[in-house]
Amino acid sequence: MTHAQARIDPDLPEFLWGSDSVEDAPRSASLRPTKTRPGHTPGEAGLWIFILGDMTLFAALLIVFLWERRSDPVAFAESSHQLIQPIGAANTLVLVVSSYLVVRAVFAHRGGRYPQARRLVGGAVSCAAIFAGLKAFEYYSEISAGHTPSSGTFFTFYFVLTGLHLLHVIVGTALLLAWQTMLTRQRPWTESQKVAEGIGSYWHMVDLLWVAIFALVYLVSAE
Amino acid sequence: MTKRILTLCAWAGPATVVIALIGWLIAGVLPIPLGSESSVDNVVNFYSHDTRVIAGLVISTLGVCLVFPLIAVIGVHMVKMEGRTPILTFLQLITGAATGVCLLLPLLLMTTIAFRPDRSPELTVTLNDIAWLLFITPIAPFMIQNVAIGVAILNDKRQTLPRWVGYVNFWIAFSFIPDPLAFFFHSGPFAWRGIFIFWLALTTYSVFLIVMGLTLRKAIRESADPDLSAVAATLA
Repeated sequence: MTHAQARIDPDLPEFLWGSDSVEDAPRSASLRPTKTRPGHTPGEAGLWIFILGDMTLFAALLIVFLWERRSDPVAFAESSHQLIQPIGAANTLVLVVSSYLVVRAVFAHRGGRYPQARRLVGGAVSCAAIFAGLKAFEYYSEISAGHTPSSGTFFTFYFVLTGLHLLHVIVGTALLLAWQTMLTRQRPWTESQKVAEGIGSYWHMVDLLWVAIFALVYLVSAE
Repeated sequence: MTKRILTLCAWAGPATVVIALIGWLIAGVLPIPLGSESSVDNVVNFYSHDTRVIAGLVISTLGVCLVFPLIAVIGVHMVKMEGRTPILTFLQLITGAATGVCLLLPLLLMTTIAFRPDRSPELTVTLNDIAWLLFITPIAPFMIQNVAIGVAILNDKRQTLPRWVGYVNFWIAFSFIPDPLAFFFHSGPFAWRGIFIFWLALTTYSVFLIVMGLTLRKAIRESADPDLSAVAATLA
């Protein structure tokens, strides 16, 4: 029995709770009666319609961007060199760090360590603020150098892609702040799992989208 | 009887798509609509086939108005979700009505252009610009409507509608964000005829009408008939 209790360690990610071997399956099912099948969808299934739909839209934008690049790779490379690559790289790093903080915050929330989870979510929010600040500076320096959305296909796509992404960052920050409020009120994990995991998944999507945008707009186009 | 009316209203969603698309095909708005880069001749030519264009546009005007019964039946279900303070329901009804009008007016304007096609070409082009930009760009009412529906569904403990429908609504709201770019570009994927403007909006709006219509129809079929339960209550 002690073995069965040791199987659920709220501090660990679920996939580290123990092997799902055949003879253990009924026991783990009785411990977690709500779960009838192995495997776990972060947040809830419906959320993934939104996330995958969102990523499909960004993918379509990036495909059209690459398609347009084929017709004029030289102009795309020239325009891409006008971007400030270190800022793009710094922003990638900032978002990856924020994603890590969100993962840690999910584990802290699951383990009931509310102050720690609050600090971690706060860290992720600060990362989002740094990202937005750097982005604003980048926009400012590009527009003052005369590169606006109407100066060529590359910059049209650059501003549309990063603008839509920035909008996602803003929405994500609002969601993170909502999560922080839940943590302040010490809402237990059982009541807030869907919301917290959903916000975490959304934030990872924001991170992933940025990695794709950075790779294609800043790096590939500059080739 | 009530149940039958509710079901009819739910079917009005998919019907909107079918009838509006048939109308646009007859009028020639589809398969390839006029774009902001179309020449003056193209625009004048389009409206010069007046009888066919007018007939098609009149059909699509009627089709688009079938969205109103759908908005009403969404409202009825949102009241069930929200209970005593149906604020999101009211928000959905107001913004839904506004969206309907925003779809209706440009179509009426296009019909009016075809009414006197021999006017000065400049005027025809200007009116056509107004019609298309009015059609594509006023997205805020619809986005607010989507978010209201989505929030109501996700906050609903009784699961009147499946939760994924709420998330679909958020995604549809997001897909409309690029539309105001139609003001900035005269050609390419972000002009009003571009794939991220007209085609994306057409696709996701159709998804909205069909998904809401079908999921509501299912919810209505699985619910108790309000007339019968009222009778049962009186008998008890």
